[in-house]
Amino acid sequence: MTDVFVVGAGMIKFGRYPDRTYFQLGAEAALMALDDAGVSIKDVGAVYASSTFNAASMLGQKILQQIGQTGVPCINVSNACASGASAVREAFTGIKSGLYDIVLVVGAEKNPSGMLGGSPVAGPPPEGLFGSVTMPALFAEAGMVHANAYGTTLEQFAQVAVKNHHHATMNPKAAYQKETPLDMVLASEMIAYPLTKLMCSANVDGAAALVLVSDKKARELGMARAVRIRGSAMASDVFEPRSPEILEPNSVTRLAAARAYEMAGVGPEDLDLVELHDCFATAEILHYENLGLCADGEGGRMVSSGVTALGGRIPVNVSGGLLSKGHPIGATGVANMVEIVEQLRGEVGARQVSGARIGMTHVLGFGGSSAAGVHIFEKA
Amino acid sequence: MQNTTLAKPGTKVVRVGPDGAAWIEGYRCDECGAVVTVATMACRNCASRTPPAPFRATDHGTLYSWSVVHRSYPGIAVPFVSAIVDLHDGLSLKGTLRNVDATTLRLGMPVVLVFDDAGGAHDQNGAPYVGYHFVPEGVSE
Ligand SMILES: [Zn+2]
Repeated sequence: MTDVFVVGAGMIKFGRYPDRTYFQLGAEAALMALDDAGVSIKDVGAVYASSTFNAASMLGQKILQQIGQTGVPCINVSNACASGASAVREAFTGIKSGLYDIVLVVGAEKNPSGMLGGSPVAGPPPEGLFGSVTMPALFAEAGMVHANAYGTTLEQFAQVAVKNHHHATMNPKAAYQKETPLDMVLASEMIAYPLTKLMCSANVDGAAALVLVSDKKARELGMARAVRIRGSAMASDVFEPRSPEILEPNSVTRLAAARAYEMAGVGPEDLDLVELHDCFATAEILHYENLGLCADGEGGRMVSSGVTALGGRIPVNVSGGLLSKGHPIGATGVANMVEIVEQLRGEVGARQVSGARIGMTHVLGFGGSSAAGVHIFEKA
Repeated sequence: MQNTTLAKPGTKVVRVGPDGAAWIEGYRCDECGAVVTVATMACRNCASRTPPAPFRATDHGTLYSWSVVHRSYPGIAVPFVSAIVDLHDGLSLKGTLRNVDATTLRLGMPVVLVFDDAGGAHDQNGAPYVGYHFVPEGVSE
């Protein structure tokens, strides 16, 4: 079977775009990725488009209406916050199967404003009566499980936000470029203990795109900037006794990570950097352990010791992460990969992880059940 | 003729008998022992085609995790404690933990499930709802 390479990557600056549609944002990112790859939409054999909120509106076809209706298969993917990784995974299987030589993946989103989470139910509105189902509360509760088991502190959770907001100051495409020292993170509005506002992801619009090709096409286009996808894995949630009464983000992530490591033939010790799903500061600490970056219970110390900061042993979310780069939900999984691809090419400037050769992306989608996606990339 | 003003379950796990008595219903798989809050066609855990069987859950349990919620959707009164409780017979439930000093919350704290009027809500025919919340064991409702 052919290897699969990323030869083009692009993303727009994340932020709010009140005057533009989600498919215009997606089309802009798509053109950036195609130009980066040096190919035309006419060369593309299939399109996979991801959006959590707009996949049902034929996002991909609307993007093609903007940039060229070539008549190729166009698949729209929605899988909560794992939508982008799911689209890439489908594109990967399309190339692996030999059906396509060049595939375009686009994630595009205009997030609703306000607090996300919950869904309509019959009977009295449940929020507050039967606990909380806001996303911050769910990830706060998941973080408290870790705090109860290992003594993880409010300060350690807050340090995730300090680090990722700091990283974002070096990323011109991040929604926010502002230092947030520990006292500022702790003093920002308490949303759901232990999460303050600065420990919650930035609710913004955005789009990102990748061009994936077969090894034959990669050689044709030139390998100098190609990045090989060594592992591409998805998982759905297995039974957990308390789920979904509590959000259990761990076993599904561990399942996807094990599959990705096995496919790639590498281990956590081989990774030079990771972009993981820091939708909330608590989540990042859980995922250090879920992805095998440290032993269970060590996640809090991992961030407080600086191991996961730029310059540390295994930098995590050097882009600024969902906390500060932003979390346009259906675009997030693709944007994580854009960061890794550009890092492995050595093209990101001040936030460059020196000598980066192998990188990982991770996303977790949750909507009463879960999806996790883990991908491992290597400089070709 | 149906009595439309009989109290109705205010959320998915509550059942109300013809005498108005309320209970929490859980489901347990005979094959693997998995306990869940919602009826399924086969067991979520072991895929046994014998559907998990309903049982009346106990009202005693321990605190597993929580968050003190300070900001929620517009119009929702805050702060409140969102809690996940492990009931002693294996069912885990999310609910609001009331009458508690948030600084005293700890893993394994004994709590009791108490039925309530779901915030005083009624359906379009005027029927009341039955809800529930948790209180620390030994604390009045
Ligand atoms: Zn079973």
